[in-house]
Amino acid sequence: MSITKLAFINFKSSFERYLSLVVSLSFTILIFLNFQNIIYSDVFQVLGSRNKEYIDIIVQSISFVLGCFMLFFIWYAMNVFLKKRKKEIGVYIFMGLTNQRIGKLYILEMIMIGFSALIFGVGFGIITTQLFQMILLALSDIAVEINFKFTIEPILITGIVYLIIYMIFVFKGYINIVRSSIKDMISASKQNEYVRQNLVILFIKTVLGLFILIAGYYMAIKDGGQEVLGNVLLAVVLVVIGVYLLFGGFIPMIFQGLVRNKKFLYKKQRTLWINNVIFRIKKNYNTYAMVCILTLCSVTALATSFAMKNRYDNMIQFRNTYTFQFLSEKSGLRQETQAFIEQYSKLEYASEISVVNLERSLVKSNDFNKISSFLSYSKVKQLAQEIGLEFSLEEPKDHEVIQTGHMPLLSLITEDANIEITIHGENYKQIRETKVSYLGYLQESLGFYIVNDKEYEKLKPFGEELFIYNYKISELSKFQEVKKAVDGLVEQKKESYLGRVAIDPESSEIDWIKVLYSICIFMFMVFILASGSIMFMKLYNDAFEERERYLILKKMGMEHKVLKKSIVNELRISYILPLIIMAISSYFSVHALGKMMFTNLFSINVITVLIVFVIFFLFYEMSIRVYQKNTGVL
Amino acid sequence: MSEKKVVEIKNLMKNYGAKDFQTTVLKGIDLTIFEHDFIAIMGPSGSGKTTFLNILSTIDKPTQGSVLLDGNDITRMQNKALSKLRRDKIGFIFQDYSLLDTMTLQDNIALPLSLNNVSNELCIQKTEELSRTFGLKEHLKKYPYQLSGGQKQRGAACRALITKPEIIFADEPTGALDSKSSRDLLECLKEVNDLGQATILMVTHDPFCASYAKDVYILSDGLIQCKLSHGEDRKEFYDRIIDMQVLQQA
Repeated sequence: MSITKLAFINFKSSFERYLSLVVSLSFTILIFLNFQNIIYSDVFQVLGSRNKEYIDIIVQSISFVLGCFMLFFIWYAMNVFLKKRKKEIGVYIFMGLTNQRIGKLYILEMIMIGFSALIFGVGFGIITTQLFQMILLALSDIAVEINFKFTIEPILITGIVYLIIYMIFVFKGYINIVRSSIKDMISASKQNEYVRQNLVILFIKTVLGLFILIAGYYMAIKDGGQEVLGNVLLAVVLVVIGVYLLFGGFIPMIFQGLVRNKKFLYKKQRTLWINNVIFRIKKNYNTYAMVCILTLCSVTALATSFAMKNRYDNMIQFRNTYTFQFLSEKSGLRQETQAFIEQYSKLEYASEISVVNLERSLVKSNDFNKISSFLSYSKVKQLAQEIGLEFSLEEPKDHEVIQTGHMPLLSLITEDANIEITIHGENYKQIRETKVSYLGYLQESLGFYIVNDKEYEKLKPFGEELFIYNYKISELSKFQEVKKAVDGLVEQKKESYLGRVAIDPESSEIDWIKVLYSICIFMFMVFILASGSIMFMKLYNDAFEERERYLILKKMGMEHKVLKKSIVNELRISYILPLIIMAISSYFSVHALGKMMFTNLFSINVITVLIVFVIFFLFYEMSIRVYQKNTGVL
Repeated sequence: MSEKKVVEIKNLMKNYGAKDFQTTVLKGIDLTIFEHDFIAIMGPSGSGKTTFLNILSTIDKPTQGSVLLDGNDITRMQNKALSKLRRDKIGFIFQDYSLLDTMTLQDNIALPLSLNNVSNELCIQKTEELSRTFGLKEHLKKYPYQLSGGQKQRGAACRALITKPEIIFADEPTGALDSKSSRDLLECLKEVNDLGQATILMVTHDPFCASYAKDVYILSDGLIQCKLSHGEDRKEFYDRIIDMQVLQQA
């Protein structure tokens, strides 16, 4: 019989056993394909080309992350599979097959599995794209009619990325088989044997792991300028390596210590579950580390989603502080303009303020934002009181300014810059930045410095004083009507109004942020489901290996209650270990995100970690039941 | 011989199969086991040895008859009480050792005590005492896969003895061992029995193994056919067992 035929027979007869691998691979293909399809689909075109452009950039970045996830996931699934398969095909050694031929058999089987997964993944991917987009739009609160349309590009990209990653690991498996000794192949069933690891090596791994992990945390939250993105990427790599070393060193070191300490071990039935944990730790630490990293990704994705949603609402609120803003060289137009607008819509509130505009060349600063407009402290305070805005600013001293900032989505520069400004040859220092929307859209697009009244008067002669009249209409549905009238007014009275700003409350200008947060929710779901299933499947398989041991214990007269308790303890530790490291690490990842958004996300961090804990609790409860059933202890 | 009855078996019967096609495996066995007895049950395949041991071990229920262990009828006990009985009053030695490969020999031996909340000092002390008796002191830190079959079985015997059970049930304990390992194990079992530390009931098909017991019962066709008692010389006892086997087969 030829090797190809043998591989085909094996594949056909064992397809059920290969199913878990096929399903996991198909799952990653499906997810990747769905995200790729967003780029090539025109669903988001309706939000305008700028929004679509942003969404494409986000999806490209997420595709990169998903590509890494795919790599990680395939590596894990193939590793588990290779170990299992090696045991089974090792027997061909006795039939006179060389390692190379067995390796070839492995490659052929894997190609069949790989292509089945690709067909399933792409097939289900195509079916689910529309559903995926519908859910995405619904979550994003965007009403668009979706027509089913599918292009070939996403399939090609997904197929190429998947096949490259997959084939790398197939060849890695082939090399592993070719290099295996006969003993390795035929005694693969004894690979579960626990080998006590050298304490010194474990200690070195632990120290190195802790050091790298802390370095990763530090890089994540380190202040910086343009290099922040590089720091964050480095932090990700360091945290991944650190977590692996920690699980490979620290956990076995602690548990080996516990097993040696008989006075501790022989209390409260610990002997059973602690010995079980340490017995499999060499095989399991990879799983713990992977689950830890995936849950960390899910917490970060969910925190990003919550933070984005929050920020989107704040940004909308910020820019919608006023509906109309007029710029004029004349003072005293407030009542007249108000009366005009009120002919068309009721007003919620109105305000006015004067501003000194200097020539750009007169103001030099080391700040990225080049601001040359100045407000007086007392007038800002008066405006805030008039329309009920928060005002907690201390009056700046002479030669000090407060910048009126806007609500950024993200900033890659997290450094507190020491901003120095030179105005007409005199030095000023920026003492603070306020993000309260005193001047709404104008503040977002222009930016102002607040100075004390004395400084304001001092600056007046160097520039021109303008007046800003702000109005917020309460009948938002009449916006277009009012806008048309206002445009007529500005056109008609060119001598009074230099210009106007009209902010459409229904504008979809920043709707791409809504898509971003719903995509983040999806990412969260992908990561949490992947990590939960990995843990669940691992314990599901472990339970079969444990069955015989529990049978012996039952024969010895061990009560079900005792055995159940031992299972609960063992599973609890399996679930809790990765979650503890994840919870600690998430503080740094979410903190880093918070720094980029200039906000404190601690409460969001706590909430997201709790959500992951709750979901994992459900997986844990499910695992206990299945484990008890599979071991025959239920 | 002590007069304390450990196990009292009365008219033990066991049928298998549906109503119309019943096979009677045990046809009414009466046997009393006293404290410090060392009994071997022998018999050809299908004689009912395993069924008999399974009933005594509480793994199976008889069709009729009673088994009193320490005064309690185990055939009428509920599952929970049976677990407790197995845990506290019975020690088991299985043919396949049944050690847990996830733990060291020391932890395996201490397991019945440590799972029953016995103080850890006592667990450690008892494990060391027994391992010394069974020549396993220097192997305590090893895992089962690092031990020979004989060492594993002696470890299993230590585990069975550690709770000081009323009786030890041994199912073909030398079935998987070579002659040297068998002898080592049997010498150890004989020693603890002679020291008054254990009452043993062993099921075996091996006359050499049975010759270490004080009494040998030959089970055949569901009934105890005869009883042989140990004399002064083990070799002579072994010959008598062989003769009896030949006689039975004839």
